[in-house]
Amino acid sequence: MRMHIVIASLTGLLASAGGALSAPPPGLIDRVLANGLAVTIAPDTSLPIVSTRVWYHVGAANETKDTRGFAHLFEHLMFSGTPTHEKGAWEAHHHRFGGIENAHTSWDETTYESDIPPAGIHDVLAMEADRMVNLRLDEAALENEKKIVTEELRATIENDPYDRMLVAALKSLCGDHPYAVTPLGTKEDIAAATLDQARAFYARYYRPRNAHLVIVGPVDGPATLAEVERAFGAIRAAGETPPDVPSLWGWRFPERIALKEDLPPAEVAVLVYPLPPPDSEDDVALSLMEEILGSSQVDPFREDLVRKRRQALEAGIQVLSLRRGGVLCFYSAVLPYRREAGQFDVMNETMRTLERKEWLTDARLAGAKRKMLRAIELQRYRAADLADALAKERWWRGDAALAFTRADRLAAISRADVARVFDRYVTNAKPVAVYIQPEKVPVMLQLFGWLLPLVMR
Amino acid sequence: MIARSARWLALAALAALAGAAPSAAARLSAASAQTWSVDRGTTAILIEDHRAPLVEIRLMFPIGRWSSWAARAGRIDEAFALSLLDPGGALRARADRAGAEVALTTDARMSVLALGCRREALDSVVALARDVLANRDIDRSEIGRRNFESDLEWSAAEKNPQSMMSTHVRRILFQPQDPRRTPHEKQEHVSGDAKRLMALRDTLVRSTGRVIGLAGDLTRAEAETMARALLPPALDALPVPATPALPTPLPADRRPKDLTVKLARLTQTYLALARDAPALTDRDYPAFLVADHVLGGHFYSRLYVALRHGQGDTYATGTIREGEPATGAYAAWTYSRSANAAATEAKLRGVLRTFRDGGITEQERADAIGYLEGRRAFNVQAPGQVLDRILWERSRGLAAGYRDALIERAAALSVAEINEFVRRFYDPSRFTMIRVETR
Repeated sequence: MRMHIVIASLTGLLASAGGALSAPPPGLIDRVLANGLAVTIAPDTSLPIVSTRVWYHVGAANETKDTRGFAHLFEHLMFSGTPTHEKGAWEAHHHRFGGIENAHTSWDETTYESDIPPAGIHDVLAMEADRMVNLRLDEAALENEKKIVTEELRATIENDPYDRMLVAALKSLCGDHPYAVTPLGTKEDIAAATLDQARAFYARYYRPRNAHLVIVGPVDGPATLAEVERAFGAIRAAGETPPDVPSLWGWRFPERIALKEDLPPAEVAVLVYPLPPPDSEDDVALSLMEEILGSSQVDPFREDLVRKRRQALEAGIQVLSLRRGGVLCFYSAVLPYRREAGQFDVMNETMRTLERKEWLTDARLAGAKRKMLRAIELQRYRAADLADALAKERWWRGDAALAFTRADRLAAISRADVARVFDRYVTNAKPVAVYIQPEKVPVMLQLFGWLLPLVMR
Repeated sequence: MIARSARWLALAALAALAGAAPSAAARLSAASAQTWSVDRGTTAILIEDHRAPLVEIRLMFPIGRWSSWAARAGRIDEAFALSLLDPGGALRARADRAGAEVALTTDARMSVLALGCRREALDSVVALARDVLANRDIDRSEIGRRNFESDLEWSAAEKNPQSMMSTHVRRILFQPQDPRRTPHEKQEHVSGDAKRLMALRDTLVRSTGRVIGLAGDLTRAEAETMARALLPPALDALPVPATPALPTPLPADRRPKDLTVKLARLTQTYLALARDAPALTDRDYPAFLVADHVLGGHFYSRLYVALRHGQGDTYATGTIREGEPATGAYAAWTYSRSANAAATEAKLRGVLRTFRDGGITEQERADAIGYLEGRRAFNVQAPGQVLDRILWERSRGLAAGYRDALIERAAALSVAEINEFVRRFYDPSRFTMIRVETR
């Protein structure tokens, strides 16, 4: 179902893999340079690619109300070149080696990515260090990037009904919370951005004290650290990390949200439950609960609504995880013939069956652990996956090395732990009820949609 | 410009300086595959890799959407996918208990049951694979539900400008029943006759030319034992010719020069200059590979420089290229705000015209080859990835490593040879302009 795909792609955009290997590699280097730059190097000679990540710990949630979209606009400006490396040199270097370079802006961080065969790594470090301090910022570049990000915004959130609906839903759900507006921001705020703002933002946040450099791949650890020292060590100790935005856990959400959009003729009901930040003590038990409920072949919520009772055309669970909390969404889609209250009644009946926790057996828990462990072990093959996990663990949970203990922490979780977090975050919590309707419904569907459960038998 | 050979010497020296030990790329490749015959009609392929306690299984059947048998038989993709959906969900529950990933997919030329698991769960996953392919008790209600869902997905696609651009690129090139076009159209409903669907699936599973693919943490001896018991005996012959007979593409003189599609509430216009593309096996393909890369294959390609970096007309541009061993669709595309559509269209046409008239430069050729050669390292990171590439090539009747060899053929071409192709292929009169704009 498109709803599933859209939410999945949104979460995929924001969150990389949740963990890493079960034991740290022998040559792991994890330290902070004298100027405040955090550096993690995980050498692995079995990998064919070197992945480098620079995470600046500033994102869209740190914008003020009249600068929505600025962090993302600035991400684009980071490709403007420096006096030493002309605009395009970064891309040309990667291109020459068959490498991949990219950048992403989330609510919580802005990330710069390089994946390249080993021969190209030296210049990557030199260029990353150069643009951390010598970026060329001028009016022409700013005006061109404003046009480009506005086109991105139109393409991504204006010209598809599902995207429009998601943007509206996020705004209605989060209200005044900094997570309420997508990192793409608003056209008005992007148009109003100035060069002075860009210079101030760069000087304040794009400095060593607010950055984490991660290198994973077939490199020599000490030699690479020496190279990092040469490239980044001379940069003045500066930069600040913006204060944490409020947690979603404990945020005051509305009780009910109703939306209409030019969608295909299906009505979607969603029960939204807030979740704590990922540094919560419940984090690992919650991830296992989400795995069993939302990522299984037999998702018990969907199984009951769609397969057993045939009360929905599609149903499922999606999780949106951010650094300061998240949301767990139970959704169901039906043809538009049932009243809103009726659809929520049907969903709540299924929620009550989930509360009995028949889905939480020892065998199912063991299977979920096995699957999550597999996802962790897959990081042995791809430098990029481990690099993302290391960067995320440091920024989201406070310690990059947590990437290497996740397997052990998973193993320690019991059925009682998962049952407890389900009760705490679902059974005993009050969800936000979101109801999404299509603007137009064909008459035939209005009249005969109720026949669907019969047809599906 | 640095000569290619000198550049590679420099790269080797830098790699040595970096302390790079022999990389996985040197060990993991199509050449490292172990292949043997399981029985008449069944081949096994093993990519051994003991870095992690993980195993990937691929059961590949060389029949896909392009098969003429499939076209007559109906939706074999759905018949295959339904194998996992027994009414009580017992098969899926077994996958969950094993912590395994399971997927049944059908592409143009093959159907694949793919499973991935930790080594400790291997026995139960192998048993699951066997039972999925033998399952005759499918959930009939799923057929109707999936038909409804498919209708809704099409309804959503009809409101999305990128989807509609993609659909119309195929519509101007291929006849309505052409399997190169049908995946981009509203899907026909699957028959509710479960018995018939499972009979189709059985024929598919017993097709000759099938492959048992294994990758990861297991030895040849273990793989041989496993492969012997995985599949029922193969049929004596494929139910279809190995090479599908596709309908002839619509001739160039029957394609419109311009086509405008209207959608509601768009704030941008999507533009595509489209034509037919050479097959992967066409002698022109190596030149096409390089030319296409220079035109739209990277962030400083001709299209990106003209449409994004120059004056911010767009956020994204590029080309659609399918890379199958049959004539495919090709398009240079972009989008821009509605008020800027005419100017962007003129620029898009201008890029193509200039490209055709001037061809590529020696520097562009060298950079493109560097890129294509370097990219190969990304294809050999995981054993399952290597196996998937071999299966893809095998299902198309190509030798393992065919696409890597294409890069070597491309690298051997001179800029003059590539430009001779550019002049022939990028003739603006051969392209149709497709616009998706607001109603």
